[in-house]
Amino acid sequence: MINVTDLRKSYGNHIALHGISFSIQQGEFYGLLGPNGAGKSTTIGIMSMLVSPDSGSVSINNNDIIQHPVECKQTIGVVPQEIALYNELSAIDNLLFWGGLYNVEKSLLKKRIDTTLHLFGLSDRANDKVKTYSGGMKRRINIAAALLHNPKVLFMDEPTVGIDPQSRNLIFEVVQKLHSEGMTIVYTTHYMEEAERFCDRIGIIDNGKIVAQGTLHELKSMGGNQEAVIISGNGITEATAAKMRAAGFIVSTGENQLTFLSHNLKSDLSRIVLMCSEHGIDINDISIRHVNLETVFLSLTGKQLRD
Amino acid sequence: MFKIAAKDLKLFFADKRGMLLTFAVPIALITLFAFAFGGAGGSSEPDPLKLVIADLDNTETSKKLIANLDSLEEFVVIKATSDSAENLVIKGKKPAALFVLRGTEDSIRAGHMPAFELKYDQGQGPEVGILEGALIANLNQISGELLMQAMSAKMPSDSLMQFMPKQSNASNGVTIRETPLVKEKESPVGLIHAVAGTAIMMLLFSVTGMGSAMLDEKQEGTLKKLMMAPINPSSILFGKMISVNVISIMQLIIMFVYGWLMFGLDIASHIPSTVIMIICTAFACSAFGVFLVSIAKSKAQVQGLSTLIILTMSAIGGSMIPSFIMPAFMQKLSIFSVNYWGIQGFYDVYWRELPISDATFLTRVAVLIGIGLLLNLIAVRLFRRNIIALT
Repeated sequence: MINVTDLRKSYGNHIALHGISFSIQQGEFYGLLGPNGAGKSTTIGIMSMLVSPDSGSVSINNNDIIQHPVECKQTIGVVPQEIALYNELSAIDNLLFWGGLYNVEKSLLKKRIDTTLHLFGLSDRANDKVKTYSGGMKRRINIAAALLHNPKVLFMDEPTVGIDPQSRNLIFEVVQKLHSEGMTIVYTTHYMEEAERFCDRIGIIDNGKIVAQGTLHELKSMGGNQEAVIISGNGITEATAAKMRAAGFIVSTGENQLTFLSHNLKSDLSRIVLMCSEHGIDINDISIRHVNLETVFLSLTGKQLRD
Repeated sequence: MFKIAAKDLKLFFADKRGMLLTFAVPIALITLFAFAFGGAGGSSEPDPLKLVIADLDNTETSKKLIANLDSLEEFVVIKATSDSAENLVIKGKKPAALFVLRGTEDSIRAGHMPAFELKYDQGQGPEVGILEGALIANLNQISGELLMQAMSAKMPSDSLMQFMPKQSNASNGVTIRETPLVKEKESPVGLIHAVAGTAIMMLLFSVTGMGSAMLDEKQEGTLKKLMMAPINPSSILFGKMISVNVISIMQLIIMFVYGWLMFGLDIASHIPSTVIMIICTAFACSAFGVFLVSIAKSKAQVQGLSTLIILTMSAIGGSMIPSFIMPAFMQKLSIFSVNYWGIQGFYDVYWRELPISDATFLTRVAVLIGIGLLLNLIAVRLFRRNIIALT
């Protein structure tokens, strides 16, 4: 369904994408997981024909995006990261406008708007101006606007950033429903839980490179039998983490937190605690986690997803 | 208290747009108005007046009279045939034309001061008044000299001295018959100026506001989303142009209808030409708004630029004060303003009552359309070039 080959993009001296390649099958739920600035939005931007690549190619439904942009745009629906709606218009007027851009016949469009508003639980607010909506409600309409032309592929760029739990759960339900109906979904997030919950396959992206991809199971197995030791305390600095990395540990820092990866917890745990004391860290809490996407990401990049 | 004041001052000086509006715009306007009212440079030397003369007598004496007028610093003489001199006045290109009447030479040879005719545009009263004042004094002097020369050629000097006091006509001076070619209409020129000048200036401000909605779309992410839709990127700009044009036409219609209902602007007798002028003016002004938005990178820049450019154009283009009372060089500059062509077009309609087929009226219409096309073309190119930066 989607083939991305050796995609490269630079902004001035900053290289956003270093030649990434991946394929997505029809009906697949593909997650693009990475921290802020990893290249997720640039990848989505190129696939949705908003950003021109420096080199490489993308084909969607066997159409090259450069040669057949209109056909490709008709095939995809895009949920951008920001809420792109006209605040002074009602939800219905917004949806009529955005759906109308895809040449959906008006009576069919109205029918789809009714269905979509019902799906997102916003039928009773349909005629209210969007400016009166909560952030979560706006996010729901933002997604609804991308579905009206019944796209084969849905790009969702961090669709749950900064919303309330009720809206998040509603969005999750809709996303799962769309997936179960066979829609191909490309989903970028830096929330590990979302990727683990929905994605058939996940591409881990960092510094403009796909550092690993596969099913959740395959990715976890890349982490071997590693476990994460999380030390919380005072006196944690990047300098102390660097010293610990020099001692051979994979370490990442968070807010008053150090995360170590260990293949041999029994022998490493005492070493870790000792090193922390030697570097003046006042430990408040120690917790152990089994391998998950977070630890896989840490072992692959030396960084935490939310860095 | 002082910390708050210091913070506010720091914020103020960091805001380039605020600085521009506070200092640069008033300075620019003071400069413009100083030039417009002739106060620049402290010079008291007025610009020479352009004097259109039609020589109906076409004799040695009349040619000498015209040559003498031309040699004066006060005038720049433009010789014209009777028809073209009248046309220059009727079409508003000159406020008045002096006609040297048939029989001028005969009259002088007979010892009489000659008579002239000044055909003028009643709508350009102040300029006609200045011209007439300068003419009376100089025509008296020149005609007097010619009369003396004619008499001295006829008789000995002692006889001439006896003859001169008897010439009652000579001592009364020349006669200038005033004939208005463009007469006071149902819609006085002041009303036309007030409605057209204000409407165009306010339209320029509002189209800039409408055009800058494009920058709101950029800020709110809807432009990015539009770019993802299966439409040509240019159609985003064209769509914006259409909406701005429609609203502009509506705005002008409302302003002119208000001028009609409240002040009696005579729209009813000039509906076709009014419609043409409204559409063309709206087109040119809308293009200006879209152009301004296409060269700016932010809404703040649009606001700063629009205030400066629109006030400048309105000042030199005649929205604030009629261009015919400005100095000659300001009048030359005025052609670079959208306001000028719009206001002159509306003068053609309501004051000069030119027919739609008249070349002068059509020229104004063509210039407005040309301005619109040129600015739209530049805007499209800039929009294409900046599109990636915009999204």
